Amino acid sequence: MIDLSRISEESPLLDENTKETLKGVFAKLDKDIVIKSIVDLQEEKSAEMASFLKGIASFSNRICLELYEVSEGAGLEMDTSHLPATGFYIGSSYSGAAFHGVPGGKEINSFVIGIYNLAGPGQELSKSTVKKIEKIKHPVSVKICVSLACHHCPGVVIACQRIAMLNPLVKAEMYDANLYPDLVKDYQIERVPLVILNDRDTYAGPRTIEDFTQLFRDAR
Amino acid sequence: MGNLIGKEVEAFKVWAYRMGKFYEVAKEDLLGHWSVLFFYPADFTFVCPTELGDLQDFYEEFEEIGCQIYSVSEDTHFVHKAWADASETIGRIQYTMLGDPAGVLARQFGVLSEEEGQAFRGTFILNPEGKVKAYEIHDMGIGRNGAELLRKVQAAQFVEEHGDQVCPAKWKPGEKTLTPSLDLVGLL
Repeated sequence: MIDLSRISEESPLLDENTKETLKGVFAKLDKDIVIKSIVDLQEEKSAEMASFLKGIASFSNRICLELYEVSEGAGLEMDTSHLPATGFYIGSSYSGAAFHGVPGGKEINSFVIGIYNLAGPGQELSKSTVKKIEKIKHPVSVKICVSLACHHCPGVVIACQRIAMLNPLVKAEMYDANLYPDLVKDYQIERVPLVILNDRDTYAGPRTIEDFTQLFRDAR
Repeated sequence: MGNLIGKEVEAFKVWAYRMGKFYEVAKEDLLGHWSVLFFYPADFTFVCPTELGDLQDFYEEFEEIGCQIYSVSEDTHFVHKAWADASETIGRIQYTMLGDPAGVLARQFGVLSEEEGQAFRGTFILNPEGKVKAYEIHDMGIGRNGAELLRKVQAAQFVEEHGDQVCPAKWKPGEKTLTPSLDLVGLL
């Protein structure tokens, strides 16, 4: 594990207004969350992410940050092939929600709401939707490809990751497609948000959490 | 004439030339698939063969995405044939060349220069219901780009299928991370 004292918590991505708002949101957290991130500190985006995460973790004693070297990624369950890779955990248990890249731009919202949904009271969700989510009976791998300027994207990330947090068979990971040309090439990504199910089927545009739940239930 | 987005092509019937043969083309022939109406001023001019040849270079790709190309000028179909016989560039064109000597189509789409009896360089993308989804009109000398037109048709088809709640992305490796834009209103 990387010694956090090596990392600056002064992230240029977190201005004073953002810091104050985040402190307010994270004051509502009522569970401990562990944010685990695999970073290659020689690489610009990883270094940026490490600093960003250290800043985030400093806003609440409910948030514990663990940074890992590339060679230490095995066993963390999330995709470790697209770095920086950052997952949310309760203890050592993976929530199914992860972020690949740095959640700047609009994607800060899905990152913060993800923490709130996992370690806080969470967004309101009807009991019937929760039951439907729990009825997904097969593993579903979800890649949500975004661009940081896309205002439709955070809603899709939030919805898919909420499902993942409520059903251990679902994994929903966000990818800033700009950082991963292999995904852009393989899935011919020209527009976002683009959801890739089980590394095969693609779905563009936003949907409600109920619609995504149905989509995941139907996925094979 | 106001904005033409959403305008449905009106009934028409004109003669056309395609690969050595003459046909009648009516509104019904434009329905059930995507279409591009590609107006240009006149046959036997210099910019036109360049544009029309460029469009031919992408014709196979337009066909692959289910889009038919119809070039239109205020010449007759006989003149189109004469031009195809005389010009190597025009002779290899595989799409349909509509003759609009009475100005029926050019007036309908607002691209007829009444003084010159020629059409401005107007491009109209029609959906399978014959409704205009995108268009551009250039003055006489300003040429167009087949690759850009193909991209526009693909974009129009994507929006028709998925709605407009997607963001086109221009991938720029090495770009700086955007400053966070926190807006939690309605999310908590």
